[in-house]
Amino acid sequence: MNRYKVTFYPDNKVVEVAEGTTILSAAISCGVYINSPCGGDGVCGKCKVMVMDKEGKGRLSLACASRIHQDLRVDVPLESRMELGPEIKNAAFESQKAEFKPVDSSGLGFKRDPLSKKLYLDLKGLAAGDTLSDLDRLCCAVSKASGISSVQVNLFNIRYLGELLRGCGWKVTVTLAKKNNGFEIILIEPQDNSANNFGLSFDIGTTTISGQLINLNKGVILGSRIAYNSQAIFGADVITRIIYSGKEGGLEKLHNLVSVAMNQMIKELVEGCRVSLNDITSIVCSGNTTMIHLLLKINPAYIRIDPYLPVANSIPPLRASEAGININPRGLLYCVPGVASYVGGDITAGILSSRLYKMKDLSLLIDIGTNGEVALGNEEFIVASAASAGPAFEGSGLTCGMRASTGAIESVKIKPDGFSVSYSVIGNVKPGGICGSGYISLLSGMISSGIIDKSGKIAGMANKRLRASDRGREFIVAFGAETNTGEDIVITEADIENLKRAKAAVYSALSVLIRHMNFKIEDIRNIFIAGGFGTSLDIDSAVRIGLLPDLEREKFSFIGNSALAGAREVLLSSQAHDEAEEIARKVTYFELSNDSAYMDEYMAALFFPHTDLSRFQSFKG
Amino acid sequence: MTVQLAREKWQGAISAVTIGATKEDGGSRSSAIKIGGEESLPCLFSEGAITNKPRVAFEVWDVPPADWPKELSKEFSNSLNDPFIWAGKCIKDYNAELICLRLQGAHPDYQDKSPEEEAAFIKEFIRSVNLPLIILGCGDDAKDNLLLPACSEAARGERCLIGNATQENYKAIAASAMADGHSIIAESPIDVNIAKQLNILICDTGLPLERIVIDPTIGALGYGLEYAYSIMERARLAALSGDKTLASPFICFVGQEAWRAKEAKSGEPNQGVMWEVITAASLIQAGADLLVMRHPVAAEKSSKFIDKLFYKKQ
Repeated sequence: MNRYKVTFYPDNKVVEVAEGTTILSAAISCGVYINSPCGGDGVCGKCKVMVMDKEGKGRLSLACASRIHQDLRVDVPLESRMELGPEIKNAAFESQKAEFKPVDSSGLGFKRDPLSKKLYLDLKGLAAGDTLSDLDRLCCAVSKASGISSVQVNLFNIRYLGELLRGCGWKVTVTLAKKNNGFEIILIEPQDNSANNFGLSFDIGTTTISGQLINLNKGVILGSRIAYNSQAIFGADVITRIIYSGKEGGLEKLHNLVSVAMNQMIKELVEGCRVSLNDITSIVCSGNTTMIHLLLKINPAYIRIDPYLPVANSIPPLRASEAGININPRGLLYCVPGVASYVGGDITAGILSSRLYKMKDLSLLIDIGTNGEVALGNEEFIVASAASAGPAFEGSGLTCGMRASTGAIESVKIKPDGFSVSYSVIGNVKPGGICGSGYISLLSGMISSGIIDKSGKIAGMANKRLRASDRGREFIVAFGAETNTGEDIVITEADIENLKRAKAAVYSALSVLIRHMNFKIEDIRNIFIAGGFGTSLDIDSAVRIGLLPDLEREKFSFIGNSALAGAREVLLSSQAHDEAEEIARKVTYFELSNDSAYMDEYMAALFFPHTDLSRFQSFKG
Repeated sequence: MTVQLAREKWQGAISAVTIGATKEDGGSRSSAIKIGGEESLPCLFSEGAITNKPRVAFEVWDVPPADWPKELSKEFSNSLNDPFIWAGKCIKDYNAELICLRLQGAHPDYQDKSPEEEAAFIKEFIRSVNLPLIILGCGDDAKDNLLLPACSEAARGERCLIGNATQENYKAIAASAMADGHSIIAESPIDVNIAKQLNILICDTGLPLERIVIDPTIGALGYGLEYAYSIMERARLAALSGDKTLASPFICFVGQEAWRAKEAKSGEPNQGVMWEVITAASLIQAGADLLVMRHPVAAEKSSKFIDKLFYKKQ
């Protein structure tokens, strides 16, 4: 069989593949990322690449549908690349900075007491008449220094304890890590290394992975990293990933993608912050139930089969090395416990970091992602639901949709006179597409200026920005001359329909949940909005399209990536860890698909802003 | 001990829609018929005023219907070939008070008559038939978009009821009805939400709610009647509870649905007529305000039933 060379630009990576291989597989095999939300089924059209001929002329092709029959040069355009500009990195972490307070500062904070801590102990050598064994001597000293009387020790550490103690003059640093309501001596190091104790907090999202390196002694963030979850090659949402994990080698592949990505981030963090990998003694991960299953290489198949049970909601602390995560080989990995198959540890972490569970007043947490999760409650109760919103707000499955990265239109303003459009683009470059927050402000503008009616139909009037194509009627947001690809950036009636369904799923989930608990929407005092686009989300637009309820705007607050913030708090405080476990136990999962009202609510929400206009008084008439 | 009957107190009322303009109103109709205006559920006279009883309209086509079952068409014999004779027969022989004119001939699959042709026909029809009119398009969205504005203009000032507007196709119809002083029928597919959404969308074009009649889409006896019934009931309960956007009278195309039933077409004497009557009688109790019927005997029987049921007011 013939083999051909394929060169990918701008990565400048070359790979040799067998004849007939698709460009997408070739790209995956050499680590070039090409968007493919449908997982290579040839239906989403997001994996567009330029296949260059000898004269340097390009032909636009779908990477998943184009097979290789000769040596090729392939250009991956910006819109198909995984590009994370510095702006979005900053945007994503700006809120984190703002919300990060030293954990023991305010009344609502947690006592700083990291999950793994280091103690320097001087056992003062052997005196005449000593009868205590080495281990007993160590345990006594630990107890004296920390007040912890019963600790677990594993064979690994006992085996070389004798030599270690004698070799370093009985001066050691012991690392204690919280485990099963007690502590385990996970690590014994010679001499005083107690100043170097670091931990990691991670949020493993379906789309994005974020991680932070933290000095556990001081409770300070040393560095942050954000990367895309490259599992997205095998599907944009958890269901497609679960299906893929059932294919031969699928689970292994998905697990490797996430662990490799995390290890790369960890490597960058320790190098950037000049920290030794060996001094990282614990890592806390939050993520939805499926992501945690894939991280731990647990078969997630049962999550999507009735009665939708995960293998585990709450995972006991385990050796990070067992999960393939590179920190100190004895270090522990903690997962923030989840509630149910579709309400995972990311929501527990969100409830923790938003302090929803300590609120006296009725509060609501909305995490807008591929799965829209909603939690309602206060200090007395919490109920949570998940609604499958689809990836529309993450820019997936839409004609010109893209992730919130460089080149994405993030907000749009439309003037009613002649529909002149102004927009802002992440990274201030030529736009390549529209991201979630861009779509929200675009829709809102289109409704206000009468380009679409309340059902989302594009007006039939004559205007240079309005046209009919084989996809139906569409509105041109940016003309080809303004864009990165030279093609017009448009929104079609089908896109609007898609977004309408996504917003209806989120809104109806919260409204059914609220009604199910015999409350009214007006009873809610605080609304926390979490999610990737939280920092650039315009609330008024989100209410205008009926994604969020029409409440006083001051009741809303953005909490950015609440899953990451929660994971960090758990890492830094044993108390937060215990409270997270309590939250997971306390939250009642409410399955929307069992509620007949959900479908009615959903149908009524398929309108801008809602069929029941009385719920959106701000926009009546 | 006396038993106190529980009485519902309703906050809302259905809007009253008038069909037909007499000389005083600037038209040429012999009468004007009011439908809707209920302040209570059907027949619950003690809970609120029911000022207008349900009405029956006779369906007349501009072209001879090709697929009407024999049981139905034989009643009209040759008059089906001429809409003027057909309408005249309804008036003379069966005391029709409302005519529902369906412009089926404009359908691309029928005779594809042009909007101009149909508009000329409407003008002619108005001259020779002086009852209040309901004018229906051919059911093809693209064609109706051209056809109905032309017919609306042709019937200007006669305060007709024009339809059907759907969620996909309401703007041109609403705009022309507004300009020419007609009311419109808003059709939704057995769905309260869409009925409501369409009313809102039509209102957004400037046509007041008081000039909309809802076609909730019905099924005949044995073909989803109970589904249609419960949707109408839900909408009516919401309207009486104060939801203005659903407070429009209902029009039900009883003849069209009943004569699609296998049982109606079976050839069994009387069965088709009774199928139409029973469908109508059930929907009257769900809140129907206007029944468009095909078989004159069924129409007659339904009218009698209405008179008995609504004896209180009338």
